[in-house]
Amino acid sequence: MISNQLLTRLLAFAALVAVIVLLFWMQNGAYVSEGNLRALMRHMSVQGLAALGLTFVIVVRQFDLSFPGVASLGAMTLGWLIAIGMPLWLAVAGGIAVGAAFGLVNGLAVARLGLPDIVTTIATGGLAIGFSYFYSGGTSISQNFFMSGILDLNDRKIAGLDMPFAILMAAVLVACVLLHGSRLGAGFYATGENRRSAWFSGVPTAGLIVLAFVICGATACLSITLLVASSGAANVTAGNQLLMPAFAAVYLGAALFGRPSVGATLAGTVLMSMMLNGFTLLAIPYFYSDAIVSTVLISAIALFDPRVSALLRRALPRQREKTA
Amino acid sequence: MTDLAPPLATSPTRNGAETLMRYGFFLLVIGVLAVFALLRPTFIAPGNIHGMLMSASIAALMFLGLTWLIAAGEIDVSFMSVAALANMVVAGLVQAGAGWGLAALAGLGVGAGFGLLNATLVAGLRLPALVITIATGALAASIAAAIGLGTSIALSSTGFVGDLLDLRLGVVPGIALVVGGLYALFWLVQERLTFGHYIYAMEQNRAAVIEAGVPVSRMLFMLFVLSGIVSALAGVLLAANLSSGQPYLGTSYFLDGLTAVLLGGMALKPGKPNVIGTLAAVIFLIGLLNGAALLGWTDSERQIVRGSLLLIGVGLVILARKHRRHTGPAHS
Repeated sequence: MISNQLLTRLLAFAALVAVIVLLFWMQNGAYVSEGNLRALMRHMSVQGLAALGLTFVIVVRQFDLSFPGVASLGAMTLGWLIAIGMPLWLAVAGGIAVGAAFGLVNGLAVARLGLPDIVTTIATGGLAIGFSYFYSGGTSISQNFFMSGILDLNDRKIAGLDMPFAILMAAVLVACVLLHGSRLGAGFYATGENRRSAWFSGVPTAGLIVLAFVICGATACLSITLLVASSGAANVTAGNQLLMPAFAAVYLGAALFGRPSVGATLAGTVLMSMMLNGFTLLAIPYFYSDAIVSTVLISAIALFDPRVSALLRRALPRQREKTA
Repeated sequence: MTDLAPPLATSPTRNGAETLMRYGFFLLVIGVLAVFALLRPTFIAPGNIHGMLMSASIAALMFLGLTWLIAAGEIDVSFMSVAALANMVVAGLVQAGAGWGLAALAGLGVGAGFGLLNATLVAGLRLPALVITIATGALAASIAAAIGLGTSIALSSTGFVGDLLDLRLGVVPGIALVVGGLYALFWLVQERLTFGHYIYAMEQNRAAVIEAGVPVSRMLFMLFVLSGIVSALAGVLLAANLSSGQPYLGTSYFLDGLTAVLLGGMALKPGKPNVIGTLAAVIFLIGLLNGAALLGWTDSERQIVRGSLLLIGVGLVILARKHRRHTGPAHS
């Protein structure tokens, strides 16, 4: 029965993919070329990593709005560490550490001090953007980039896969084990369902919420590292483009597959990246594609979310047929 | 104050602490403004005061709907993008040759439309407010950018809206008086009418308010529409004030709006966002940012101040709420 339902959902996902491919392919034949598929996978790697981290926060029923700002700070930290001649691994680790540190602050503020997640993360995100100007006064950093080898993060290949995509796949694997193959994962979901009863069942709820925020901050900075590697410069607005696609990917995936999960987020990312990549290929300006992305997000939440339709049925008993 | 419950026996020391909490924020505002006036005499030059009051009025207008939404336990993160969209609609229409009257009406209409959209999705369909308003905000922002094809639109004339903004009484812009009057009116509604009491009750126990027969969905609906309209009104005024359409003006109001509402939530009714508190906090923020600019702080330093203030504000609000809940049903 359950596998039957999963099959239906997978078919719905495949149908959506097919429709998107067909639409863009008719506009531009290059959409299915190998070059574009590689570009699509690179795009997916950046968006997917950010969305993957956000998934953990959404699973514990919190929100993180700080990760775009934190990612910008991570990008600038990475760029600065490279510019002053630090080895690459240290620079990358430094950037990710910044993300983890902000995640820790968010998590402690929300889980321990009881501050509201939305406003707290908006504030810490604002702080991160402010800090990101300190390294260079707001100009982009690209000194030493060529020598440091960071561009290899974008260009090198592992087992036929582009490096960014390989990193995404590795991250997906780790996230899958963490969220779906361990007791910790069950704890994340239990915390999201009912924090109090999870706590009484022995789940370290506060610790898991902190961990979710740390993961989100760290993956946002890992994702921005890939973006910096592909563009060859770090700048203070780098993270801005992460917010909408990440939320859209998580919610689109959750709407399609019934609840947020690693697989659902990956599916959502595939759909979002296929659309955004297609718009880029057709040279559609960003403001039109943003409008389409947000419309997709709104309709996905409104039309598919089973929790919402259940609420709707309870709230508006007469309009039951509307959500069917 | 609201006297929903008769004030029980409260010790004099707690009364003193409460009074300090209630009015301490106003002292802080006055103190900070006085320090800036001492450090930089140009801070209180008539031109600077006029400019600050003007920006404070427009900002306060934009945050009016947001205050009640947050007081009711909801959130709207699309307000600044709706303002930007209204701003660009006005600029686009005026540039295309339409009159200011028509353009302003269209701007307001677009704002009301986005308010209705948010209201339908969040209050009507019970969808999560944050994600929905992130999405509608992004939609508004991208339409705003699309109107100017990604750049701003300069306006040669500011029409009757500009004339209205130019009205002044000494150093006080006319618009400041209007916005002040509006805030007084909203204060009355919030404090004296049951509508205002329900707003706060919604934040404290939504289920109980629904059980009590209050049309919560309809109230939320009105609050979201209100937020859309006042944000759009601010956007229309900004078109004349800046004599241009700025598609990205939203970003600078985003943190300020939330900071003003939450920091202002510490004044008068500790822990509860209220319109007088928002007004005081807007004056505080505008004064602080203006004074800091006079002292030569960079944008990033001011950004950090904003972020810190927002954290402090939200921390204080939560502290005050916890304090109140632990010490029993207080009279607030």
